[in-house]
Amino acid sequence: MAVFARTTKKVILRIDEFFDDIELGILVFREGIKSYIHKDYEAYERHLHKVESLEGNADKLQRIIENDMITHSILPQHRAEVVMLIDKLDEIIDTIKKSMNEIITEMPVIPPELDKDFITLAESSANAAEELIPAARAYFKAPYTVREKLLKVYYFESETDKLSLRIKKRVFQELKDTDLAQKSHLRYIVHHIENISDLAQKAADMLSVMAIKIVL
Amino acid sequence: MILFFLTSGLFLGWSLGANDASNIFGSAVGSRMITFRKAAIIASVFVIVGAVLQGAGGAQTLGKLGAVNAIGGSFTLSLAAAVTVYLMTKFSLPVSTTQAIVGAIIGWNLFTGNRTDAGTLSKIVATWISGPLLGAVFGVLLFMSVTVIKKVSGIHIIKFESYIKTGLLFVGALGAYSLGANNIANVMGVFVPAVALEPLNIGPFSLSSAQQLFLLGGIAIAAGIITYSKRVMQTVGANIVELSSEAAMVVVLAQSMVLFIFSSSWLSDLLVSIGLPAIPMVPVSSSQVIVGSVIGIGLYKGVRNINFKLLGEIAAGWIATPLISGLFTYFSLFFMKNLFMIDVGHRISEGSTEISPASMAPDPATSEMMRYIFLIIITISLIAGIYVLLLQSKRNRELKASEEKFWKNMK
Repeated sequence: MAVFARTTKKVILRIDEFFDDIELGILVFREGIKSYIHKDYEAYERHLHKVESLEGNADKLQRIIENDMITHSILPQHRAEVVMLIDKLDEIIDTIKKSMNEIITEMPVIPPELDKDFITLAESSANAAEELIPAARAYFKAPYTVREKLLKVYYFESETDKLSLRIKKRVFQELKDTDLAQKSHLRYIVHHIENISDLAQKAADMLSVMAIKIVL
Repeated sequence: MILFFLTSGLFLGWSLGANDASNIFGSAVGSRMITFRKAAIIASVFVIVGAVLQGAGGAQTLGKLGAVNAIGGSFTLSLAAAVTVYLMTKFSLPVSTTQAIVGAIIGWNLFTGNRTDAGTLSKIVATWISGPLLGAVFGVLLFMSVTVIKKVSGIHIIKFESYIKTGLLFVGALGAYSLGANNIANVMGVFVPAVALEPLNIGPFSLSSAQQLFLLGGIAIAAGIITYSKRVMQTVGANIVELSSEAAMVVVLAQSMVLFIFSSSWLSDLLVSIGLPAIPMVPVSSSQVIVGSVIGIGLYKGVRNINFKLLGEIAAGWIATPLISGLFTYFSLFFMKNLFMIDVGHRISEGSTEISPASMAPDPATSEMMRYIFLIIITISLIAGIYVLLLQSKRNRELKASEEKFWKNMK
């Protein structure tokens, strides 16, 4: 019995730590984009290192959680879904790390008139991912409340879509002096930032079904 | 010769263990919450304990229905019941060992010209209906309580599941105990009036003739669990995996409670002492109680597509199983008596008490042989247990070494 309790406690703590890492990673991503827009590259590098360390830890935790859940037969009926949810959340922090690395490698030139739009886009995309975490935590403690928490994810994802479309329109229709290569590059960066909210939406869709299944 | 005649009962016990253990641990093993080995050990131990300690009630009721007074008769009707169960299972017809044995006893009564006690028969038949109904009521009440506790406490689902896992072990143990206590009558009940053994002393404990038979029957059930129930458990688990883990636990608990109620003379005496009617000590079908509680929970959760075909099949089984088993027994007894010249029993005159095993002289040779059989079984079980433990410990050591290597390299 004591073995059960010890393993269970460990898995619960690890899942919580995993969620903390993802949440912090999203927060750092938001700050990182702001630093880049404000041309504070030193801060950006610091944020990138933080994200890399969080992503590494999240990967490790993901492996341990999966291993423990299978070895100790934890939550057998919902294990596959929980493992998949963790994988989807890990994909978010993986994408954050990848996008931040690409931004610092490619160093896109963002026209000053789009600074505010890019910051708002990053805020909105990060918000969508951030709102996913309380819903994912609720799945384990109060599955009845998961779906109402997910509403915010869908709201921010749709806002992100609108913002990205607006930025793309501005890039291609208003920036007359910018060449096509730079415009394409900016569109590519917009996609990178927008991608975070799309991944959050996919995870939200899955979580929503999981919540119904566990409540019924 | 007596030992040969007991084989049909042991076969019935083996098939009961192979099939009915899945009612207790099927969902837990099928969903891999509990390993088969753990389930088999718990079920085997508690089935034997339940059979020896509390098996007398159901056997007495079957004895009242028809006191088979020759071991040849016990052998034949037990074999006929076992074959009926086997054939009906083979043709995928819902069957209960309880109903088969009741039909077989009535068949014996008809063949030997004994009167079937209508009062006892109606008591038994009433439990076939009230068993699943009680299962449904207990199922719903327990499920409601568990759901409310889960919702109000806001417990982490992983922690909740670990409690359920522990609960499944305890409930499974109770279920196995109740199965042994209630269903041993089906396996050995018909032999009790026909076999008399000397008391067996094991340390401070003394086992009566009936208890020795129940111990042997319990071991047969345990053998069925260990050797053949794995596949059945995995199939049952896969079939009712749609049940949540808490519902699975509730279903087993409801079934255990129903079986316990119908085999607890203590509870029955308690009710009588406060002026309520006594509970009939009758073997009930664990499978049908399970179906009752699953349907009860389904109705509570608002499921509308109740499988009426399954319910109809169960109701048809209440008539078909005893009928087929009874007819089969009747013809088997005819052949046994006339072809093999075996004494299958005789008419008991009104008011006679000759069926009491106490009135028969125990056979010292058989009793001696029974002692040796128990000794051999205990020795084999101990050797097998030690072998399995050593094998498990070797596997654990290898797994630990491999895990350590993996995580060391991951860092």
